[in-house]
Amino acid sequence: MANMIMASSKHVITTIVVSSSFPSTPKLQKTPQLSLPKIPTLKSISLLTLTSLSFAPPSVAAEIEKAALFDFNLTLPIMMAQFLLLMFALDKVYFSPLGKFMDQRDAAIKEKLSGVKDTSEEVKQLEEQANAIMRAARAEISAALNKMKKETQVEVEQKLGEGRKRVEAELQEALANLENQKEETIKSLDSQIAALSQDIVKKVLPL
Amino acid sequence: MNGISCSINALNGLYDISGVEVGQHFYWQIGGFQVHAQVLITSWVVIAILLGSAVIAVRNPQTIPTAGQNFFEYVLEFIRDVSKTQIGEEYGPWVPFIGTMFLFIFVSNWSGALLPWKIIQLPHGELAAPTNDINTTVALALLTSVAYFYAGLSKKGLGYFSKYIQPTPILLPINILEDFTKPLSLSFRLFGNILADELVVVVLVSLVPSVVPIPVMFLGLFTSGIQALIFATLAAAYIGESMEGHH
Repeated sequence: MANMIMASSKHVITTIVVSSSFPSTPKLQKTPQLSLPKIPTLKSISLLTLTSLSFAPPSVAAEIEKAALFDFNLTLPIMMAQFLLLMFALDKVYFSPLGKFMDQRDAAIKEKLSGVKDTSEEVKQLEEQANAIMRAARAEISAALNKMKKETQVEVEQKLGEGRKRVEAELQEALANLENQKEETIKSLDSQIAALSQDIVKKVLPL
Repeated sequence: MNGISCSINALNGLYDISGVEVGQHFYWQIGGFQVHAQVLITSWVVIAILLGSAVIAVRNPQTIPTAGQNFFEYVLEFIRDVSKTQIGEEYGPWVPFIGTMFLFIFVSNWSGALLPWKIIQLPHGELAAPTNDINTTVALALLTSVAYFYAGLSKKGLGYFSKYIQPTPILLPINILEDFTKPLSLSFRLFGNILADELVVVVLVSLVPSVVPIPVMFLGLFTSGIQALIFATLAAAYIGESMEGHH
């Protein structure tokens, strides 16, 4: 609507410029009133304000520029094309390479983290293996120890037995000897007793 | 009559004082068409900033990132997060689109607010953020529309159009209307915010001494950043909505 009013006022002004010599202010004021039909008050006021606002100072040429806020032209498709080109260029230069780099870095970090977790499991496994080996070794040792103990015990008993036997044998011998001696002594005593009793008899009985 | 002459003279005087140029464009002719050259020039600068900084910062990615690489990684993670939240698991292919949308709008808005464009005098009109032009914002909004249609159609085929009669066929006109209001609201939200912020700052600067516009400039930086985020998030939300499965 602003454009329409501007356009209509522009039309009015160009007719003024064509029809008369350029601005002597009072004359311009008269002509708008002459050429305009009867219109309601508000519209006439707005028309006059817009006319006056668009009235260029005398130094500017007769061409009047519309204020163009909603001015669609070739700029629109050009901006679309520029944006699409920018998107592809930025993707090739920034989004894709940096994005890929960041993803790779994240994946590498995750892998390292999970790798660390796996190594701790490996360490536990190795520990258990070590413990198992230790236990086996200890079992072996104790078994060997027991075996050794048993063997030495057997040996010891053997020797003990032998020693006892010897001792017994000697005892028997000694006993036998003693008995022999006793018998010999008794025999010798017997003979001495006999001699002694003869002597006694001789001595006791007077002749 | 005399009253009118007085008022016209006064208005002439004001026209001389105020340097606010609204809707004045620097026109180039390409073929039979006109373009707003100031928008193209500033958009080329924005594109150069984006591509240049990205190339320099991401040149040799290190496992332990440098400051620049870290910043760009942060931005990429942020964009991925926005896309993933709105679109869901299949967000991967859409990251460049959403990311470019966000970065382009953000850098455009902040370049309009921060870079000293006034140094370069144009024959007509002035340089400012490329997003203060209706052509830019409507272009971005139309691209978003195309994107979510493409997303829906490529995922569901012609079954995509069944969404118009869900949950009940009574809502069919509203659903069709939505396809027009979505790009309209996107474009006008961004256009209005950026243009209005620029106007407020320019008017304040031309009327009031130097310290007063500064809080408004900070507000402008804040809201323009938010607008970039909103545009990108809504674009992702529309794409996600088109791609989502059956309820």
